[in-house]
Amino acid sequence: MSIVMKKSVPILLVFITSLIFLAEYFVFPELKDVVTLLQNWGIILTAFTLGFGAVNMFMFHGKQVSLRAKGQWPYSLWLLMILVLFTLVGVIMGATSTSYSWLYNSSYFALSATVYSSLGFYMTSGIYRALRAKNAESALLLIVGVIVLARNAPALAAQFPILVSMDSWLSSVPTTSAQRGIMIGAALGAIALGLRTMIGRETGFLGRLTEGEKGG
Amino acid sequence: MTAKPKTIWDRLEDIPREILYGLLLICVIVPMLFPIGFPVPISAEVQRWYDTIEALPAGSVVMVDFGYSGGGEPELAPFAVATYAHLFRKTGIKVVTMCTSSEGPLLWERAMVELNIARFGKEYGKDYINIGYIAGTETAMAAVGKSISATTSTDYKGTPLSQYSIMKGVDNAKDFALLIEYTTGGDQSEGWVRQWYTSYKTPYLCCVLAMMVPTMLPYQKAGQIVSVVSGAQAGQVELLVKVPGRGVKSADVITVTHLLCIALVAVGNIAYFGKKFSGGKS
Repeated sequence: MSIVMKKSVPILLVFITSLIFLAEYFVFPELKDVVTLLQNWGIILTAFTLGFGAVNMFMFHGKQVSLRAKGQWPYSLWLLMILVLFTLVGVIMGATSTSYSWLYNSSYFALSATVYSSLGFYMTSGIYRALRAKNAESALLLIVGVIVLARNAPALAAQFPILVSMDSWLSSVPTTSAQRGIMIGAALGAIALGLRTMIGRETGFLGRLTEGEKGG
Repeated sequence: MTAKPKTIWDRLEDIPREILYGLLLICVIVPMLFPIGFPVPISAEVQRWYDTIEALPAGSVVMVDFGYSGGGEPELAPFAVATYAHLFRKTGIKVVTMCTSSEGPLLWERAMVELNIARFGKEYGKDYINIGYIAGTETAMAAVGKSISATTSTDYKGTPLSQYSIMKGVDNAKDFALLIEYTTGGDQSEGWVRQWYTSYKTPYLCCVLAMMVPTMLPYQKAGQIVSVVSGAQAGQVELLVKVPGRGVKSADVITVTHLLCIALVAVGNIAYFGKKFSGGKS
């Protein structure tokens, strides 16, 4: 593929598209229909990538099964079987059918909720081991941690309203200030990344390019 | 060479994780089987959430996003169910639901079953609707904000939206009096601020996982979100709406498990200092 098709055309497309979005938001609201069309293309492409991801998984895990990859192929086979089962039931009976709901509720949903809930056990162990006043910094973490823990226990918050005031101050002053700093930093980074992508200085979205193809 | 026998401080400083897990399990199961009925105080955020919905005039249309996955259901669904009950109790409120999570439509159906919607006398397509999963997260939010009909032509079952009376005169963000979000993802909770509040000034209520609350507080402080709550506060909204359910039941569990954590932290620190002052190294 020529460098023009591999690099120049995608960068030009990104540049023009970005300009249209910026112009619609800041200067020309009349471009709304064009932007809506482009957004719909984005939605379709995102939906397409879900299907593409499924195909990719099929190819990768199919290879694992065919090669009988040690310690891996039974899991790959299981994954493919479940993928096929969900796809067939969804396509034939519909993704809102009772069969599909049953399949989802009795397998994925239950497992997903269980895995997420198991975090509580790790957190309990982590809190017990991490919150120790070994020095000034860890003592501060301990005090704040205990206040937040106590405030989030409904009965304790009802019994000791001062916990609510303390937690409220912690949330609205130190936490919010630190979080704002992170957010503003990330936003500035995003603006810089956006501008670099627009003018073709950032080529990560183009996939793997050789040093020569990357250019300046 | 024989190993030095463990002191009481050593044992308390390093309680095996199996014992910690066992204690937590007991603290979860016992209050569930034998509810204690601890008080559940109403926080300022949940009160503001309730008041915002309470202040909606008849004829208002509300956009609800089901942006959570199955793992977050136990925490977020009770809040969603109680809020739907509040919305459906009010006269003339229409609710349009969309899903930015691919699991959203299935989890929404679960919530509707839990809500027992028949008791509110509301009709699908007239009083409420689900326009289904729309891929793209922030792109989807922006597109729906501009035009629902240009983004999707059917509801989550595949029936054309034009067949439902609720969609008459409802097409973009300006037609909605309120936006409510339930999510396990930062992309969704922050995305709605950027795509709806910034562009259309739509009042926004945001319900997230407890651990996500600190990341959303700056938006609330700046007035971009009316109220940020965690799903763990569901018991409070259930009490305000007078539909006690899973949230109230879990309030006892939350109190007992948090007390356990505080007790373990105390034990760990007592053991640490006990060992230090008794001459042992820590």
